[in-house]
Amino acid sequence: MPNFTEETISVAGGNLQVYKGGSGDPLLVLHGAGGNAGPRRYAQALAEKFTVYLPSHPGYGKSDRPGWVESMQDLACFYTWFQEQEGLENVRAIGFSMGGWLAAEMLSMTGHAFSKVMLVGAAGIKPNDGEITDIFIINPQQIRDLVYHDPSQVPEWDEMFGTDPTPEQAQQAEGDREMAIRLTWRPYMHNPRLPAKLARVSVPTHILWGENDNLVPVECAGLFHQAIAGSQVTVIPNCGHSPQIEKPDDFVQAALAFL
Amino acid sequence: MDVFYFTEMPYAEFPESEAEKYPSMRLTFPNTYFDPNTASGLMNRYLDEYQYAEETGFDGLMINEHHNTPSCMDVEVNITGGILARITNRAKILMLGNMLPTSDNPVRLAEEIALLDVISGGRIISGFVRGIGIESWANNTNPIHNRERFEECHDLVVKTWTTPGPFRWEGNHYHYRAVNPWMLPVQKPHPPVWVPGTGSPETVEWTARRRYTYAAFLTPLDVAKNLFARYREYAAADGWEPGPEKFAFMICAHVNETDEKAQESGKAFLWRMNYPLRGPREYWSPPGYTSRAGAAAVAARRPTPLHEMSYQELQDRYHLVVGSPDTVIKKLRHIRDELGIGSLLLEAQGGQLSHADTMRSIELFGKEVIPALKD
Repeated sequence: MPNFTEETISVAGGNLQVYKGGSGDPLLVLHGAGGNAGPRRYAQALAEKFTVYLPSHPGYGKSDRPGWVESMQDLACFYTWFQEQEGLENVRAIGFSMGGWLAAEMLSMTGHAFSKVMLVGAAGIKPNDGEITDIFIINPQQIRDLVYHDPSQVPEWDEMFGTDPTPEQAQQAEGDREMAIRLTWRPYMHNPRLPAKLARVSVPTHILWGENDNLVPVECAGLFHQAIAGSQVTVIPNCGHSPQIEKPDDFVQAALAFL
Repeated sequence: MDVFYFTEMPYAEFPESEAEKYPSMRLTFPNTYFDPNTASGLMNRYLDEYQYAEETGFDGLMINEHHNTPSCMDVEVNITGGILARITNRAKILMLGNMLPTSDNPVRLAEEIALLDVISGGRIISGFVRGIGIESWANNTNPIHNRERFEECHDLVVKTWTTPGPFRWEGNHYHYRAVNPWMLPVQKPHPPVWVPGTGSPETVEWTARRRYTYAAFLTPLDVAKNLFARYREYAAADGWEPGPEKFAFMICAHVNETDEKAQESGKAFLWRMNYPLRGPREYWSPPGYTSRAGAAAVAARRPTPLHEMSYQELQDRYHLVVGSPDTVIKKLRHIRDELGIGSLLLEAQGGQLSHADTMRSIELFGKEVIPALKD
């Protein structure tokens, strides 16, 4: 198992918490609205082939929020700044959920953000038929019940959810929720102009979804596919919103094949 | 001490147990339970009762505003304020208040309040509120910006009232090219501003620093005392001493001819203390709505939520005062003397309290209770 270290990098007027591990070409992993779960099993597996960078977004975890980071577009600006500073432009990337939306915004801003990108259960485009579940109006337990299609197949369940959070962890989770609300309150979890802007994307893009996603409807996989010419789509059966946690082996297999 | 009459103008015309089927009686409780014809009767009844409250001797009439809830049909204090401005002629009209953070147009708000002040001949007290978390949902205003929008909206409204136009405003949340409304308030420099609170330390400080009146809402007496003491500390630090006119207290109150009758008819208030106060934390206080300090203060405020208190407990803790005129006079004098307040805000119609019981209560307040509180 590759060792991950926790680093603090000063970017754009604030400190960014980054988990870094493995060796090989860089791979930037962008977490979702729920926060940075750290180097879970899928990240360890990817670190066998790549140097994995797993930052906590500004305002999340131990990362500062520069006062100007108020929207997803600001967050995308922040990360292009980070990439420039750290020499991480044109790298491989994976974005989960809100992190997928973030990756898509970055793709829409510059042609040299990523060499290849995976969007996993990505927010950012409004579904035509369903709706993106409002995770702010329900409690963390209800969110968890919706995220996982079948908790019994989540190999890290006990490790992740087996014990009650400490007061510090609860404060952290509250801070993460506040940052998610700041970034995505209205329009909720999407940018009406994103699909049009994604027409500029020319890098290889792999759209991956859990077939039973209860947060971001699987129809959004098709909408991202329509918006990004030449993209490929994989739908993992019998799986919820977070394939990397719920079916890490299937996820890693698909990721390594593409990346 | 001034005594104000208040009702939330509830719509209690359905079995309250229906609320059990939903997360709350607010926000997402289906409006299919609403019948506009029933509401028409109720709204006109409530307005009649306000008129009668002025006639019998209340010094002021208080109105408020909520959204997506049967507990309060007033959805716009500037509309009901306009009606009261025209159908009454003496009482102060306390709007407590306009929700600033959910307002997208502070200049329009300043104009509306100014118009009410003009029509009423300078009787408007302009309450400014942050709105409970549910209002952030109902109006889809980001709760993370609640306090900063409250403050910027306030600054712009007051500047609109007090600074000759035209001027520009390029703020963080509000932007105008030509602030120059024709309509300005009668009261100079502007109508009195009141701010309600239930414990948030930032609100007490903000209110004290601006020398506005702070109104404690349904808090235990010791909590209100504590909040008022903090206000006095901020005032002292700024070198001034607030009089009773800077402090108000709001509770539910009901009078009937005898204690026995009052205890029976007063049970109608249990409706407003029950389902309308329940619901998920996310509804009442979405993440970001309350600062960490505010959350800690609110948690410390009430050991037991109102909706978990019995009828007797609500009375013992002075959230609800019920009785004959003599009993109610004693209790309200106790509150007045304990808190040193200049205004007592009485929610004297609540829940399912009938028109007849409301009118009798208003009459007894006007004839017997209020005069006894003036000594």
